Amino acid sequence: MKLSPFALIFVVIGVPALLALGYIFIRGSAGLRRYIMTRIALTLPMIFILASLVFFVMRVLPGDPVSSALGPKGTPELIARVRTQLGLNDPLIVQYGRFLRDVVTFNFGNSLTGGHRPIVDEMSERFPATLELVVPASILALLIGVYGGAFAAARRKRATDYALRLYSVVIYSLPIFWLGLMLQLLFGVRLKVLPISGRIDAVVGTSLKHVTNIYAIDSLISGNWNALRSVGLHLVLPTVTLGLILSGVFVRLTRINVIETFQSDYIAAARARGIRERVLVYTHALKNALIPVITLIGLQVAILLAGAVLTETVFSWPGMGSYLVERISGRDYTAVQSVITVFALFVALISLAVDIIYSLVDPRVRY
Amino acid sequence: MKRRSTFSIVSLFVLASMLLVACGGQATPAATSAAQPTEAATAMPEATAMPEATMAPTTIVIGTTDKIASFDPADAYAVRDWEVIKNINEGLLKWKPGTAELGLGLATAMPDISADGLTYTFTMRDGVKFGDGTDLTAQMYADELNRLLTIGPDCPNGVAGALATPYVDSITAPDAKTIVFQLKTPVAYFPQILAGAPYTPADPSSFPADACTLFPEAPIYGVGPWFVSQFTAGEQIVFEPNPYYNGELKPQVDRVIVRFFSDPQTMALAVQNGEIDVAWRFLGTDLIGQLKSVADLTVGTISGGSIRYLIINHTMAPMDDPNVYQAVAYAIDRNAISDTVFGGQVEPLYSMVPPGFIGANEAFDTQYASPDLDAAKASLAKSGYTADKPLQLQMWYPPEHYGAETASWMQVIKQQLEATGAIQVDLQAQEWSTYVTALTGGDSYAVGVLGWFFDYPDSSNYLDPFVYNGGEGTNVTTAAEGSDTGTPINDQAKQLVDLLMQADTETDQAKRADLYGQAQDIYADMVVSLPLFFNAEHVVFRSNIHGSDQYASPDTLNIGPTIEFNYATLSKSQ
Repeated sequence: MKLSPFALIFVVIGVPALLALGYIFIRGSAGLRRYIMTRIALTLPMIFILASLVFFVMRVLPGDPVSSALGPKGTPELIARVRTQLGLNDPLIVQYGRFLRDVVTFNFGNSLTGGHRPIVDEMSERFPATLELVVPASILALLIGVYGGAFAAARRKRATDYALRLYSVVIYSLPIFWLGLMLQLLFGVRLKVLPISGRIDAVVGTSLKHVTNIYAIDSLISGNWNALRSVGLHLVLPTVTLGLILSGVFVRLTRINVIETFQSDYIAAARARGIRERVLVYTHALKNALIPVITLIGLQVAILLAGAVLTETVFSWPGMGSYLVERISGRDYTAVQSVITVFALFVALISLAVDIIYSLVDPRVRY
Repeated sequence: MKRRSTFSIVSLFVLASMLLVACGGQATPAATSAAQPTEAATAMPEATAMPEATMAPTTIVIGTTDKIASFDPADAYAVRDWEVIKNINEGLLKWKPGTAELGLGLATAMPDISADGLTYTFTMRDGVKFGDGTDLTAQMYADELNRLLTIGPDCPNGVAGALATPYVDSITAPDAKTIVFQLKTPVAYFPQILAGAPYTPADPSSFPADACTLFPEAPIYGVGPWFVSQFTAGEQIVFEPNPYYNGELKPQVDRVIVRFFSDPQTMALAVQNGEIDVAWRFLGTDLIGQLKSVADLTVGTISGGSIRYLIINHTMAPMDDPNVYQAVAYAIDRNAISDTVFGGQVEPLYSMVPPGFIGANEAFDTQYASPDLDAAKASLAKSGYTADKPLQLQMWYPPEHYGAETASWMQVIKQQLEATGAIQVDLQAQEWSTYVTALTGGDSYAVGVLGWFFDYPDSSNYLDPFVYNGGEGTNVTTAAEGSDTGTPINDQAKQLVDLLMQADTETDQAKRADLYGQAQDIYADMVVSLPLFFNAEHVVFRSNIHGSDQYASPDTLNIGPTIEFNYATLSKSQ
């Protein structure tokens, strides 16, 4: 049986997640087990409510996918026939029931515009692209945020501290499309060192065998180093754009937490023992200061996905964000509600994972 | 200590990787770089005669912001879809590259037309094969075309209902080389319709006879110069030469890749830095203006078929009053719209039929010499509208569908109409799908903006749709059962319908041009709709990309007024 890339992604992410959950259930405390069960129980109705909300809001908003696609050349007879074929003339409750069935079976049905392809197929192509963008962007945001914040805290009230604080405010305030455009103009057009669009060079892309649709992994699997290099190059500008924008808030949070940790007795004791300031900051203080940062990661996932929508548009990155924008403008109800459901599921899973990690890294946390 | 080291190493690795990648040299490998064989290319039958020089395939990358909606000839009804289909396929007739002249495709000669104009007989050329080596027989071709008539009407994009079933009664193949079309009524422009993508033979291995197949698995073969070897949705389509193609348009390069962009600005930057070789549809007028000054880039301008106009609803007040719609026609200054909003990059349009099409004239300029504010005021005064008692006019437009600048030029029109002193305009925007249904339905808006791109390049396609059967909301006729044209609302409308119907069947081109000339004069007098301007199409390409001097319009890569882009005429120098 051929596994779709979308299913493969869920296997890749879902299986380790299930194993981790299994481990926690066996080895974790009773409180933690209860907490996880409660969270899962709450996540399901949350997704149900969100998906239902999107379903009804999309239908209340003005616009119709068939008229939108056919334009002035769509005769009333043709519009009526296509609407019937797509099930849009069925009673709303029937459409809602069909939608819920599709969500539960992870089928999602067919899109209403752009060729009426199965949405699972379309998301199989788009979701991996978004993952490939947001994962390195998150890592970059964390690296800059955590090290930048700790560095600022270690040099409190000095020029570097002020500079980093200014950076964090300015970078957080910048519109993503503006930063992306500036980077494109500088590195793509003027210096010509980096590509400014797409996931892989058009020519090199023809040699890539698609397995997971995460191009970095696909090029590694097939040993296609030329493709890997091209994928890496194409990742730089979108990753840096999204990563820099997200890093601002991490810089501020890490800085303030490291400064607070400096007031702790154990830091004073360590300092008294003659431990070097650098070790004190980056090992002792930073470790404890990171706990609130982990919480923030969970909260930032939704912002990350929103940022990905803009980044994907600016860099013509064919991910879920640009797909969502495209389908909203075409009033493709089924595609929009499916994408939002998957986003919600993704955010819920990450939040759950963050809570679990939080309990593991901070032994004081009890559920 | 160990954890700190691990964290540091991981951090350093990530940063170093990004640095290495960033300093890795030229971002875009030359498009001529050796690439590994594609999946489809490796599946090519051994009997093919592929070019030997496969070590460094020459590739041209074309960027577009268009989307693909269907590969199926029985369904596709969009410019980009047709471009793909017509590059991988060929019909009996086709447009000569760079012109609006009909030439021979699979046919050996222009058709024999019966005296009653109902039967078109074609003879197919020998040795026509699909890209996988399958022979195309006349019977197979007829079967494929009958697929358009049988399953086409059930396909979602509606091309069969527009370009096949209203005209064609049957398609038969009496022998191995002959195809016969039996029409329902004589149609003078049927050869033009035949040159469209729906009349190309679909490959039965990709497009089954009993179902619309919008996105078959690649490779997708036709009998044209190319085949689709790869399709990655949302990213790119890869074309490779059809090794069995025996027609005139032999590919000059080893591969063409059409790459999709979600943002015109990004596509403009990509053609500047060489990621793509050609940017084709759509770059806004502001981006075109910027790219004209960039070294190494050529901007080719094609007087295209995309027009903008106001739909005037003749059965809805106040536009049911001839004095009112003629006053609007007098007040409009098309040059001001072009200069103020588009920096002179669009052309004023004085008839629904753009220049270059059969019988095209400038009837609106002749009759109204607009702007003529005095004539507009006088016309309004006849209906009692003055500065003291101005006409209240609500005008509608879709804010996004025709570009963000629509709001700007609607504002200019509002100012022009209000300059009469006797009109007060209330501009209203509406989301596209609601808007288009309401406007063309003919019972919601008195005036609204619409755009049009031809289905086949003929004057009939710029006039008939706005007159017959409700006319896209103009309501100069009302749809009537059993009638192909609908019932005209008055004598002038009847005269117009009669002229257009005569022109539809007239095969003498001089007489036909005269009929369209008369029809445009009446059209302007009635202000059935009010033409505003036509958008030229722009193709932007790098200095090493060339069109063919063998064909017309090499300076626009042989893209002519039909807006057909034949990738086979493209070449690339080092």
